[in-house]
Amino acid sequence: MMDSNDRDYTNGEITVFWRPAKCIHATTCYKELIDVFNPRKRPWVNMEGAPTKRIIEVVEKCPTQALYWRYNKDLSADPAYQPKPKEETETFTEIKVMKDGPLLLKGSFRVLNPDGSELKTMRLTSLCRCGSSRNMPFCDGNHRITGFSG
Amino acid sequence: MEKDKALFEIVENGPLKVTGPFKLTGSDGKSIETDKEIFLCRCGHSSAKPFCDGSHRTKGFAG
Repeated sequence: MMDSNDRDYTNGEITVFWRPAKCIHATTCYKELIDVFNPRKRPWVNMEGAPTKRIIEVVEKCPTQALYWRYNKDLSADPAYQPKPKEETETFTEIKVMKDGPLLLKGSFRVLNPDGSELKTMRLTSLCRCGSSRNMPFCDGNHRITGFSG
Repeated sequence: MEKDKALFEIVENGPLKVTGPFKLTGSDGKSIETDKEIFLCRCGHSSAKPFCDGSHRTKGFAG
């Protein structure tokens, strides 16, 4: 039975499947291999923390199949297999108000024109706040010439 | 996913509407607590900067 808390982790060679509903907290995984299985971290499985061979050894000691593994090459051959999305931490776009200057946007975001079309932006984008840019909606540095304050 | 990204919408001749996951920092470097949806001044005339106060209408801002 699939569960929304289920997670898949891969290092490109193998995938480790985590089925928390089956876990009885035997603690074998993290006592044996804290560099890979660290319940205090998110994501709690770090597939870069040990060689594949060592990860397989420890996963196979799991008494309940809460952890199990497959080779990726076998998975890709299985049409029933759907990779689960990565565990993502919410990413906030930083908006910084620059003194007497523009808005600085940093992160992964979208900017839409009044007509709904999407503007091409960089991960770091400055938008005009002074009203006198000749390259709206972007900042062109004109705030310095007009003496914008705010 | 697209809907997990912050969205900046340019309001014609008006402010910048911001929704989605964002954090706002003022020009003094301090973070500003905001609603989930905010309107930031683009015309330069707001008395409530960085927020919009509707001054773009009286000032005839175009952009």
